[in-house]
Amino acid sequence: MTTSDVRAALLSADPRLSKFSPLPRILAFDEFDSGTHGWTELLGNYNGRGDLSTVDDHMRDFRPPQLSACNFFDIGTHGALSGTYALKLATRPYKGHTAVAIRRLTMSGRGLVQLETYFAFKSEATLGGGAELDNFGDVQWDGNTHPSEAQFGAFTVATDLCGDGGLRYHTVARYQNTDLDNHFTRQWMAPTVPEPTPREHFEGKVKLEYAADFTAPNPEDWHAFGEPQELCYNEVPTKVNWHYLRWLIDTDKRRNVELQVNDRVMDMRDVPVPPYEERYETLENLLNFYFSVRTHSSVRNFLFLDSVLISVDW
Amino acid sequence: MTAVLERDTTFDTRFATEPYEVAWAGEARWFVQHVGGDGTATYVTQVSPDGLTWCDLDDLGHVVEPGALVSWPATGFGHWLRLRAKVEGSVQVRIHLAVKA
Repeated sequence: MTTSDVRAALLSADPRLSKFSPLPRILAFDEFDSGTHGWTELLGNYNGRGDLSTVDDHMRDFRPPQLSACNFFDIGTHGALSGTYALKLATRPYKGHTAVAIRRLTMSGRGLVQLETYFAFKSEATLGGGAELDNFGDVQWDGNTHPSEAQFGAFTVATDLCGDGGLRYHTVARYQNTDLDNHFTRQWMAPTVPEPTPREHFEGKVKLEYAADFTAPNPEDWHAFGEPQELCYNEVPTKVNWHYLRWLIDTDKRRNVELQVNDRVMDMRDVPVPPYEERYETLENLLNFYFSVRTHSSVRNFLFLDSVLISVDW
Repeated sequence: MTAVLERDTTFDTRFATEPYEVAWAGEARWFVQHVGGDGTATYVTQVSPDGLTWCDLDDLGHVVEPGALVSWPATGFGHWLRLRAKVEGSVQVRIHLAVKA
């Protein structure tokens, strides 16, 4: 029996790990039943006096992640996949608002990096109102499909990476459930430009408004990859079905590799990873991951994460 | 855990903070700081069965004057917490919620 066989046997015998497919070295295993594990609110940069008015408008309100028992008005506590609590990202009920949770590490090598998670996405339930609320976007409530599904905008998993003398870049994968007009697209997307930074604002190069799309503000800079994918929203806003996501990138080649979401594996090697033209300081070996959720309606959008596993081959 | 529910936000009318889930917590304490503005606001802790419908936790109104930091505990709450505020004038508000198991 080889070392690899022993490792595979140990992983498959562990009910907490056997639902993942980690690379050889596990950097982080975050089951949110036991806490937030370093996933925290993202905030833009501020000046030397702690003056928060110097934070970019579009990066000042990404909301604190919550430990959620997935409580709902109709059934009470839903609970998570691995226990009672999940990490919940919640937007404000404001079109375009984004909630972001980030995890901050550094790299002790280069090569493959893999993020795996079990996630669910929901819109907040609506109570009361008239019969007009049975319609939204492309959906007319019919006992099966529910307008809540069309009220969900998009969620994103991404990195912020820097090294080798300040060369900074992001890898990004977004599931766009609906476009900004609330029509279903159900498409995986990535931007062809790097994320606007506080330094670019400081230098007068960019100024974005509140609720701008901070990852890439111009919709025309987002391009689809793979085929449209229908996920399991499961009819109403209070049923939580957990989806598997596995995302592989290569920090040696500074590019994407592939994205698996449930039974779909998408080749991402040709999805561009645009670096910043200018070098950045204080970020050497930066290895950040973030999840975000953006509402395209005036309804709160939620991204629930049961657990996250980050592994590498170095 | 500490959550910053408002970060130097300016209000000149009634408002409520975003819903925050605290099912896991046994203790909670609000810290409300008026970091700007010349107005005064009165805050009341609210609870909810579902994060959608809200009622006052108690009949205590907490008055915060310009420049002041005021703190109070919340006990006997359910799975959600928020604050509602009645504002006189203009207030710039920083609100921390500290929660413990």
